[in-house]
Amino acid sequence: MTQNNRCASGGRIDRSRTLRFTFNGKSYEGFEGDTLASALLANDVRVTARSFKYHRPRGIVGHGPEEPATLVELDGEDASGNRPATTVPLRDGLSARSVNCWPSPEFDIGGVNQLLSRFIPAGFYYKTFKWPNWHLFEPSIRKAAGLAAAPAQPPSSGHFEARHAHADVLVAGAGPAGLKAALKAGRAGKRVFLADEDSEAGGSLLNCDLSIDGQPAMGWVEAAVLELRGMANVTHLQNATVWAYREHNLLIVNERNPDQGSIIERSWRVRAGEVVIATGATERAMVFSNNDRPGVMLASSVQAYFNRWGVIPGKRVVLFTNNNSAYAVASDLIAAGVRVEAILDSRSCVPQAALELVPEITVQSSTVVGDVRGHKGVKAVKAVSSSGSVNWIECDLLAHSGGWNPTVHLWSQSRSTLRFDEDLAAFLPYQPVQNCTAVGAAAGQLTLDQIIDGGEELAYEIEPLWRVDLPGQRGKAFLDIQNDVSVSDVHLALREGYDNVEHVKRYTTGGMGIDQGKTGNINIIGTVAMQKGVPLQEVGTTTFRSPYTPVSFGAIGGLREDSVLFPYRHTPVTQWNKDNGAVMYEAGARWRRPGYFPQQGEGLQDAVNRECRAVREGVGVYDGSPLGTFELKGRDVPQFLDFIYSNMVSSLTPGNGRYGLMLSDDGLILDDGVVFRLDEHRWLVSTSTGHADSINQHMEKLLQTEFPDWQVMITTVTSQWNNATICGPRARDVMQALGTDVDLSPEVFPFMSFRDGTVAGFPARIVRVSFTGELSFEVNVAPRHMAELWAKVIEAGAPFGIQPVGSESSHVLRVEKGFLSLGHEVDGTVDAYDLGMGWAMSKKKTDYLGKRSIQLRREGKATRRELVGILPEDHNRQVPEGAPLTPGGRKEATEGLVTACVWSVVNDRWVGLALLKNGHSRHGEIAHVRLKDEVIPVKITKPVFHDPDGKLLRS
Amino acid sequence: MTYDVAIVRQPLNALFDLKGSPAAIQNWAADVLPTLPERPNSRTGQASVELYHVGRNHWIARAPLEQEAELEKHLSPTNCPAEISIVRVSDTLTFFRVVGPQADEVMSIACPLDIHETEFGEETVTYTELFGLKALIMRCEDGFEFAVEQSFGDMAEDYLSRAVA
Repeated sequence: MTQNNRCASGGRIDRSRTLRFTFNGKSYEGFEGDTLASALLANDVRVTARSFKYHRPRGIVGHGPEEPATLVELDGEDASGNRPATTVPLRDGLSARSVNCWPSPEFDIGGVNQLLSRFIPAGFYYKTFKWPNWHLFEPSIRKAAGLAAAPAQPPSSGHFEARHAHADVLVAGAGPAGLKAALKAGRAGKRVFLADEDSEAGGSLLNCDLSIDGQPAMGWVEAAVLELRGMANVTHLQNATVWAYREHNLLIVNERNPDQGSIIERSWRVRAGEVVIATGATERAMVFSNNDRPGVMLASSVQAYFNRWGVIPGKRVVLFTNNNSAYAVASDLIAAGVRVEAILDSRSCVPQAALELVPEITVQSSTVVGDVRGHKGVKAVKAVSSSGSVNWIECDLLAHSGGWNPTVHLWSQSRSTLRFDEDLAAFLPYQPVQNCTAVGAAAGQLTLDQIIDGGEELAYEIEPLWRVDLPGQRGKAFLDIQNDVSVSDVHLALREGYDNVEHVKRYTTGGMGIDQGKTGNINIIGTVAMQKGVPLQEVGTTTFRSPYTPVSFGAIGGLREDSVLFPYRHTPVTQWNKDNGAVMYEAGARWRRPGYFPQQGEGLQDAVNRECRAVREGVGVYDGSPLGTFELKGRDVPQFLDFIYSNMVSSLTPGNGRYGLMLSDDGLILDDGVVFRLDEHRWLVSTSTGHADSINQHMEKLLQTEFPDWQVMITTVTSQWNNATICGPRARDVMQALGTDVDLSPEVFPFMSFRDGTVAGFPARIVRVSFTGELSFEVNVAPRHMAELWAKVIEAGAPFGIQPVGSESSHVLRVEKGFLSLGHEVDGTVDAYDLGMGWAMSKKKTDYLGKRSIQLRREGKATRRELVGILPEDHNRQVPEGAPLTPGGRKEATEGLVTACVWSVVNDRWVGLALLKNGHSRHGEIAHVRLKDEVIPVKITKPVFHDPDGKLLRS
Repeated sequence: MTYDVAIVRQPLNALFDLKGSPAAIQNWAADVLPTLPERPNSRTGQASVELYHVGRNHWIARAPLEQEAELEKHLSPTNCPAEISIVRVSDTLTFFRVVGPQADEVMSIACPLDIHETEFGEETVTYTELFGLKALIMRCEDGFEFAVEQSFGDMAEDYLSRAVA
């Protein structure tokens, strides 16, 4: 198809480069520099979309991000949904489709909705589909009224990026005002960040034919860009939209297709000392019957398509306006040889300067458009004068201008205030809340001469017309074209009591969606004001929210995807674990740990049973490196540890350690771990893996806020020590086989002590602690030696059948011993007495953190959930962790829950732990686990199923 | 590659964490350490030993790994007075160097800090955030050097390779 609407010359396109593309399956051609919209108009494609709700035929309305009507879905490597056609750069091979229509925008089955439009006004869905349940209808309604789906697959190549930047001055917009501000700041040596959403600088000057000091205005733009390019202190980006303005002058910029490697889009997070908002102004629509027909376009967009892309989207044009700017459009069209049938001006008195621009055109003042004829394209417009006379004017393009709205989105996002200006009939920036300034059209300077010395442009004058209101009017008059919100919808909202503009927005959805009401919002406000009989200032605006224009999720996420979606931590043994078939997953604090080590043909339970049997009957080894470890130094460490632990710690002598509980302010368990005294003033504290960071913060906070004079210095050494913990009856044999200069006999090296020495030739600290209930040696070495140590442990342990042990087996082993686990038994509701650990509550210390709270709670004598063991009556019946216990298994309030249930190889049955009301006094009773379709009886026991006296771990 | 940089994961360094009053630190270790940096988030150097002032009464001494034993002998962490804390932390940090003409661009992907030369000079060293992780950052010849907690080393490398892919 030829480009029938393309002028023979002109425009800022490269006619030597023809681009081929498809739209709704048909092939077309355009030029380098086109947008999809300009190329479609050049090819005289009139119906480009169907509307959101009524499926009315729609064409292209605007030329930039304000486009409300034509959203497209891109296929192939550009795959994305709901892109305004005006913002899609044309490229060779582009494939685009209209959204919200089937089978095509020309013939759309959903168009039947137009016949039913009387019955489906705003709020219809919520009133009608409330019984029996909205969610029953929601999927089909969404399908009927929805937009494009998100792409099913991520881009096949390239990646998104997010980066940070800092600037003295951020300038949003590279139109004349923005360039002027950037030049001023750049010349002053400031670090300038200039970002503009368009593909080239110039702003409104790209779209019209203005001059500065008698020279083409674009010449001034090119000189300004050149000068900025020469400044090392200036970052100038095009195709970069400043879409969010956050606290403390943090602005977010989305840069599309940066010319750098494989980056698809880049998100900039810019912290600016000062922000200059030079975002220009957006033309607003006129509101009249059938103002959404294909061929009804914004006047400035018609001008832009001609001047910038060499496209005239009609042969016979009528202009409808309430302000001067449309006269320059008419002047350009006349110069291009287009037949301008008439200018309809709602004002009673048209300024002489405007008339002088179009001496040969019929200007009908005090006249409005009453209707548009033509379903899939404008055929004629109905001109209605204030005297009531009516005449139909045949045409194929209606260009209308309802005036200009300063683009105050960023200003408002900064929480700065707006005021309504009666002269401009627009909301203008008023009081800044952050360090920002609005300049140029964004500040209400709507003509070039106000911005640039020597600029020449017709003065801007307007008489607002918020909607055409004629008796006997037929046809929908749209305020928000994207959401199909008409004047009657707003009237309905007001009648139903939604008279606050925010409520009107939510009731009608006017101003929502992808265009965020750029062309229609103020007409909604004006309509509300007219209906209520109040000034616009009193109606106010709705909240401007980011993003100003749609942004890809990919750009927001940046590099965070795939393997780096979440942080992860490795130990030096991670690679060995992977090489040996471990099933890896996160096990707290971002550590990737081995869950279990399946051997050939083994499932999870088989592998866990094998690992547990090794620990109970032979020997196993696990990587205990992730445990949080801190070295504390200072004279006041003993009293500090006595304060944060519930038991006595200060009485420890060097070389020995003690298990302890940390409580929170409210006397509940915060963490557990062991403390060792290294020497007089040095201590080693270990915490649970998952709580390492929070316990570090807890200790620092106490020291900085409660005890600033105490001499306690904390150093995190979690990653300075890795450990291989050898556990099981043959652990001592493996240690001997490894070779050590430490006497391992229990008399010399007892449980809960440590020794420094060498193991397998490496400097090591051996600690006798046990988290499995078996004889254990925790061999701590520097990470630089850990991988080698691990290999030697496996080698030395081979004759004893040593098995690597994963987190799943550790869980089983600790349940068999009744050792508590944070997140299982310690769920933020229990104290030490509930867990049968009253022995850890010091009777000697005058005070410690949480002591008073726990005493008060205990004095209340309220029923408590207490830790018990449970044995399913059916030995082979597993009980789900988290399952509730109810009296008699009846449907009553729970009396507890199962915290853990594991297969015990030493007991050859399932065993579990539970928190149960008054559990300590109920040993021997039968409790009942209530599931959805089943009640499982379980015997209540002491919470220990292996070596109750602890002889093995002390052996 | 998207950026003209070289990324090098550094071998271990000798690192010692020092805490205590400046006077007490100097009394104990003046003969082996450079002069204490006067300003927070700055560094001093003497021969191959550097000293980073990373917090109130908090420094990190850094030297090539070959000097670890010698430094430890002089700093004597186990014998130092109660008023100061010296802990060998050589294995706790993994260092990376990002060098080349576009090193600052790669760093700006990772780091929210203003690392422009006017704000972040040769002598600056500070804890900040890189890829959301706590990190120590400073300039080096033709680029930047940073360190993350050792267990995050693989992730930082993963992130960097994605950034420059």
